[in-house]
Amino acid sequence: MSGLKLSLVLVMFLVLASQFFISETFAEASKDVAASALTDAEGVVASAYQAVLRAEAAGANVSGLLVRLTEAGGFLANARMAYKSGDFEEAASFANSSRNIGVEVENAADELKDSAFFERVQRMWFMMTGSIFGVILVFFGSFWVWRVFKRRYYGRVLGMKPEVSPNES
Amino acid sequence: MNLEDYRTVFAAGCLVLMLIAAAPTLGLIVPFPSGGERFSEFWVLGPNRMAEDYPFNVRANESYSVFVGVGNHMGVSLYYLVYVKFRNQTQPIPSATSSEPSSLAPLYEFRAFVRDAGDWEARVTFGFSNVSLYGDSVSVNLVTINGEAFTVDAFSKWDSERSGFYYQLFFELWLYDQASRSFIFDNRFVSTWLNVTT
Repeated sequence: MSGLKLSLVLVMFLVLASQFFISETFAEASKDVAASALTDAEGVVASAYQAVLRAEAAGANVSGLLVRLTEAGGFLANARMAYKSGDFEEAASFANSSRNIGVEVENAADELKDSAFFERVQRMWFMMTGSIFGVILVFFGSFWVWRVFKRRYYGRVLGMKPEVSPNES
Repeated sequence: MNLEDYRTVFAAGCLVLMLIAAAPTLGLIVPFPSGGERFSEFWVLGPNRMAEDYPFNVRANESYSVFVGVGNHMGVSLYYLVYVKFRNQTQPIPSATSSEPSSLAPLYEFRAFVRDAGDWEARVTFGFSNVSLYGDSVSVNLVTINGEAFTVDAFSKWDSERSGFYYQLFFELWLYDQASRSFIFDNRFVSTWLNVTT
């Protein structure tokens, strides 16, 4: 009987001890998952920011993307604070939300950059054509104006009649 | 004025007109310097978004608010990080001379992406609990910022000159550096002094 009691106590101890080890293992695993999600989200958000800068340099209006990125930054900040306070599940959740927005912004920034580049090339051609046409117009126009002016000038000079004043005769 | 003089004036006028006509294309080729100083603004405002009525005499278990803001005048969109830190009079503040941030751990953080000539502002609601008075010292053990509670261990001795137990809530501005792919301290911080009572 005492052997039975002893084995019962031993089994209960093992069950309780295993619960402790299992929860410790789960805690470590969720900590790793959260840390990995955080690192990933930070990288994606930074990469999205660089894509936005490229789109901006190409002449795109990136105001809307910056608003979305600030939202992603908010989630990232929350994730970091949750991680520090030991709430790894919430940290991973915030980090994933941040990552998703980062991916979305990066794709949108790449598309914006392409369309901005196309618009820029179009605008450049339009301006160059306009400039060349303008310069040619000014060049030939000025020749024509100069010819007209010269003709009128000679006409005016030749039309002048010399007059003799009475004192000189 | 003879014909030669007219010709010179006419040629100069034509040249100016040609330059005006070619200006849009020249603008694409010749880089024009964009003038003006490049800098980031950083500010803290009172609860009414004005530089007045800053919380000063604060009591435990009550909440107060300020606004922290960043203005970007750097010519390009920037990624900012704002750390919120809390210190007593003896703990380190950022050093403006050596461009070093405070070695204290941040309690709260904000991240913002601000376009050039744009700004960003956020409300910071804070409060203190577990505040105890021990003779001529006050101890603050819990700081709440925007609903998040943070454990701190900050003692402040009675300041007989200014008659109070002084603490400082301060904000550090950090900038994302693309080269190092990390944040660097922008050597700017703003703060508000608090006289904490139980």
